[in-house]
Amino acid sequence: MLAKSEFTVTGAHHYNQSSPTRWIISHMLRYKYLAFGFMVLSISANTLYSLVSVFTGKAFNTVLLGDAGRNQLVSITLMIAVVVLLYGGADLGARTLSQLLGKRVARDARDELYINLLGKSQTFHNRQRVGDIMARAANDMTQISDMIVPGFDIIFDSFTSLVVIILFIGLLNAQLLAAPLFFAVTFIIALRSYSRQLNPVSDQMRKQFGITNAILNEAVTGIEVVKATAQEEQEKRKFIDNASLYRDYFVKNGQIQGRYLPTLLLGIALAFAFLHGLYLLSHQQISLGTLVTYMGLMVNLRFVSFISIWSFSLVQLGVAGAERVLTLMREETELDENEQGHREAMQGDIVFEHVTFSYGTTPVLKDVSFHARAGQTIAIVGQTGAGKSTLTKLVNRIYDVNEGRVLIDGVDTRDWSLDALRSQISTIEQDIFLFSRPIAENIAYGLGQKADRAAIEIAAKDAQAHDFIMGFKDGYETVVGERGVTLSGGQRQRIAIARALLTDPRILILDDSTSAIDSATEDEIQKAIKRVLQGRTTLLITHRLSQIRWADKVLVIRKGELIDQGTHEELMERCETYCRIFSHYESSVPTPAVGGGE
Amino acid sequence: MGFIMDGLDAEAYDRTYSDRRLIQRIIGYFRLKLTTIVTIVVLVVLNSVLDTAFPLLISHSIDTLVASKLLQTAIWLIVLILLAAVFSWTCNMFRQWFTAQAVGDVVLQLRKDAFSAVMDRDMSFFDEFSSGKIVSRVTSDTDNFATVVTLAVNLLSQFLLFFLVTAVLFFRNWQLASIACTIVPAIVAVALGFRYFARRATTNAQRSLARVNANVQEVVSGITVAKNFRQEQNMYNEFKRVNEQSYHVNVRSGFLYNGVFPVLVLIANIGTTLVVYFGGLSVFNHVISAGDWFLFVQGIAMLWFPVTGIASFWSQFQLGLSASERIFALLDAEARIHQSDQQPVGQLTGKIEFKQLFFSYDDRQTVLPDFNLTINAGETVALVGHTGAGKSSLAKLVARFYEFQGGALLIDGRDIRSFDLHDYHRHLGIVPQVPFLFSGTIAENIRYARPDATMAEVEQVARRIGYGDWLEALPEGLETMVGEAGKALSMGQRQLVALARVLLQNPSIIILDEATASVDPLTEAQIQEGLDTILKNRTAILIAHRLSTIKHANRIIVLSRGRIVEEGSHEALMNLGGHYAHLYNTYFRHQSPDYRPGEGFVPVHITLEEVKEF
Repeated sequence: MLAKSEFTVTGAHHYNQSSPTRWIISHMLRYKYLAFGFMVLSISANTLYSLVSVFTGKAFNTVLLGDAGRNQLVSITLMIAVVVLLYGGADLGARTLSQLLGKRVARDARDELYINLLGKSQTFHNRQRVGDIMARAANDMTQISDMIVPGFDIIFDSFTSLVVIILFIGLLNAQLLAAPLFFAVTFIIALRSYSRQLNPVSDQMRKQFGITNAILNEAVTGIEVVKATAQEEQEKRKFIDNASLYRDYFVKNGQIQGRYLPTLLLGIALAFAFLHGLYLLSHQQISLGTLVTYMGLMVNLRFVSFISIWSFSLVQLGVAGAERVLTLMREETELDENEQGHREAMQGDIVFEHVTFSYGTTPVLKDVSFHARAGQTIAIVGQTGAGKSTLTKLVNRIYDVNEGRVLIDGVDTRDWSLDALRSQISTIEQDIFLFSRPIAENIAYGLGQKADRAAIEIAAKDAQAHDFIMGFKDGYETVVGERGVTLSGGQRQRIAIARALLTDPRILILDDSTSAIDSATEDEIQKAIKRVLQGRTTLLITHRLSQIRWADKVLVIRKGELIDQGTHEELMERCETYCRIFSHYESSVPTPAVGGGE
Repeated sequence: MGFIMDGLDAEAYDRTYSDRRLIQRIIGYFRLKLTTIVTIVVLVVLNSVLDTAFPLLISHSIDTLVASKLLQTAIWLIVLILLAAVFSWTCNMFRQWFTAQAVGDVVLQLRKDAFSAVMDRDMSFFDEFSSGKIVSRVTSDTDNFATVVTLAVNLLSQFLLFFLVTAVLFFRNWQLASIACTIVPAIVAVALGFRYFARRATTNAQRSLARVNANVQEVVSGITVAKNFRQEQNMYNEFKRVNEQSYHVNVRSGFLYNGVFPVLVLIANIGTTLVVYFGGLSVFNHVISAGDWFLFVQGIAMLWFPVTGIASFWSQFQLGLSASERIFALLDAEARIHQSDQQPVGQLTGKIEFKQLFFSYDDRQTVLPDFNLTINAGETVALVGHTGAGKSSLAKLVARFYEFQGGALLIDGRDIRSFDLHDYHRHLGIVPQVPFLFSGTIAENIRYARPDATMAEVEQVARRIGYGDWLEALPEGLETMVGEAGKALSMGQRQLVALARVLLQNPSIIILDEATASVDPLTEAQIQEGLDTILKNRTAILIAHRLSTIKHANRIIVLSRGRIVEEGSHEALMNLGGHYAHLYNTYFRHQSPDYRPGEGFVPVHITLEEVKEF
């Protein structure tokens, strides 16, 4: 199915992905022996447990024989002891195996998902929100694991015990089957109607809890606004209304739970079973021991009757989770790799010719044309959502244009080999991702093992990162993130710049929206950016007026349209929107001492 | 699966209330529900008695039958069994219903009280406690409080059942009952031992799980970067290691949980074996009847489960008490702001005077030692200075979010302590540093301070901010949903909405704590234009981070350690070359459009020592 995977693992197991249930089953079948062992042990455990009742009945018969049975009692007791110990072992074994199975399936499914994700194109990953993928890899996998243990485990065990008990009763005396069969049939009907009643109410209750919580959360996080506008009463009213609704669902939920019929059914079944047993006993069709066994077995039905509805919803949730994971895995990348395409050392000349692009039916860019010569810095200005980052994503073919074309060095991006195109274009995003590894490895990441320490240090110096790196106790070996030092936005940015300097791309897309609090840090960042811009064509999305001001060309975008382009001076002459940006700054510095210091 | 599993991951909490006081207050909450509670208790007792009746009746019938072999004599016993089953179920049904009602009502009452208490707390409370902690007090702690009651009811029913069964057994034959009861200490030991180990294991497992999850998060988020640089194989190897680790942690923590019930059942079964043997012997010796013997066998099965509940009750109960303590602490917290009077505010012109004002957050650290400043009606004042200079403290005092300890704060010449605070807040507009929006539409957010405002008013106000052209970037205009905490909007758009909200409120005094996050230049221009509009004809205090915002001010106040060190206009202060010029070099220099890295310094004439002192 996945013909175009960018990454495969030799000897990876193949699973049936045609439907969520089949997929889960094919995962479980990978551990046939575990699954089989679990079932065998679960059946044995239930059988052994029923045997305890059988031997107890035998003991009664023996004892009622009078003193003749005295010796037999010892051997029966020994038998019971053996059965009890075996039962303990089988029970423990079944729980262990099901646990192993559940956790292994989750592990393998996660592995499968990960290989699949690695095999997907960069286009896919640039579009996907990391949060969504994390939810699939963490929450959905937990749901799949919970579906097997305790969900499936409980259901299988309960129904096995029901079947085994009925079989044992049948073996005792076929006539005795009346009461347990009556119970089994009514039990299943009652269980279904119970879950139909309960599920909508508990869903509503959960939802209402979420709503109430959201209101509470909002009132607390927004307390400054609430207090400053004297709206405490409004918030209290909102909260009380919703908390009262929750209370109503809670009571309704409790009412339905109280009306759980299977326990009543069992009570009635027990009474009739006893009546039936006594009747047969009085007609000498069964012995007292058989009656004791029978009642013992009937009482054991209470484990089934307490089966939690929750285990069924676990299975439902698991299947839903599996479905989401499968959808993600099946998703395909539309862009072709074009391996036979144009392969050249890039100069960095970019031309947009009447480019129009929309996401589905939402138009994002309309008839955009501009030319960036090799080595130029192009600043893109516009409101959030105007289409700035979409524009940059057309250059490295995260998206393809709908109309018009994008040319790099005179060649349409669609005619470039995707690999050749992307390996010569680098992106520095707004959120910079660093691995929890030494700084040196993070800088050298793009080169794999090839980079030597000297090259790393040169890149770090050029990116103005060397000094703060040396400020750490372990220097370049300092581990960043989770278990190491936390870096500020500006520091992360400089490490990303060092990384880009090492890989030396011809075109750089720089989304620079981090704001430095003080000017000294800003000096460092700007020096680094200035260095990385040298000799590269750069598309720059920035909030910094000075960067816009000093760019070779500025594109002003409004609602997907390129309303003007030119140098700062040209635009200040003619573009009203552009002038607005600078209107609050004119003559901000009365006597700038250029090149001065403290 | 029983209470043995509950509350293993709760954290410890310091107690300051005594158990007795807590229980008294908890009972206080349930006093209103007294009849329901009494009914529940009666139902619980009935339920337990009826449950015990079942094996008793069966054993009695067996004896009758063994003796007479006559079915008729047993019939009335069976009718009793049937009735017992139906009544027991009915009792249980009402018990669950009434419990849900009582618990639901009490939790609702507690939530109302807790939420009102939260809304009435001073701002200092919200600065001290994280919002997560406050929220969990109102939601999970109130829930845990209710579980104390559910637990108590459950304990009662389990204790009754245990007591009745043991009493019956001992009454029948104390020797055999003693043998049967040998399993009780074993069950208690296993239950407590399990809780002890599970608690430690849970803490460990949670810690390693958190670590493993963080690793998984990293390898997943890292995919994009890995693909960027073609490092898939390395990433996969890393992932495989982490995934394997996660598997082992999960399996290990699972064993303990899945193992405990089989062990408990095994112990109960050993008890059954003992009873079968010794019971059989007693029947041989005619000490007990066959029916009694059966009673003992059934009794064992009924005995062990309540024991696990009783064994784990105490620690559960303590958790519930801690939860109620946290709620009571919330309800009992004392207000720090004291108003001497509740005078209506009336129309304000907005003159603000600080007179020898002394203020500290706590005893250790004084923020404003002796502060004097007069802000004239209609004046816009920008406060600048390093972090901790006292800028936001001044704003918080004017907002009356904090109590000051000495001197006076006068608004229009009247003591701020004499105001009706609610009324005063209506005349005060605040734009917080992080603009907060409530989920709903933009129009609803603009209207927040004046819920009665018409749509036309809202629209008119929105148009006055930045010429209203920020609205065209919104898909549904004023009806655009802002998402949870406004996350569907950009930071800049949220600031624009916050400005419109204040404009509609039309206050006499505005406090603006400027956001530090950067905003795209066009939106920034709209925000600045919005400021032009809202600052007109109002008294305003700006805590400024942007050069462009400072330029709105009639007067700049430079603060250092709670004192004014310089004041004047931007031009005058720049030419002075003092502390303001130094601040400019440090914080504002790079915001100039003409900025180039390492350039654009203004001359500073003060000494290095003075700078350091500052």
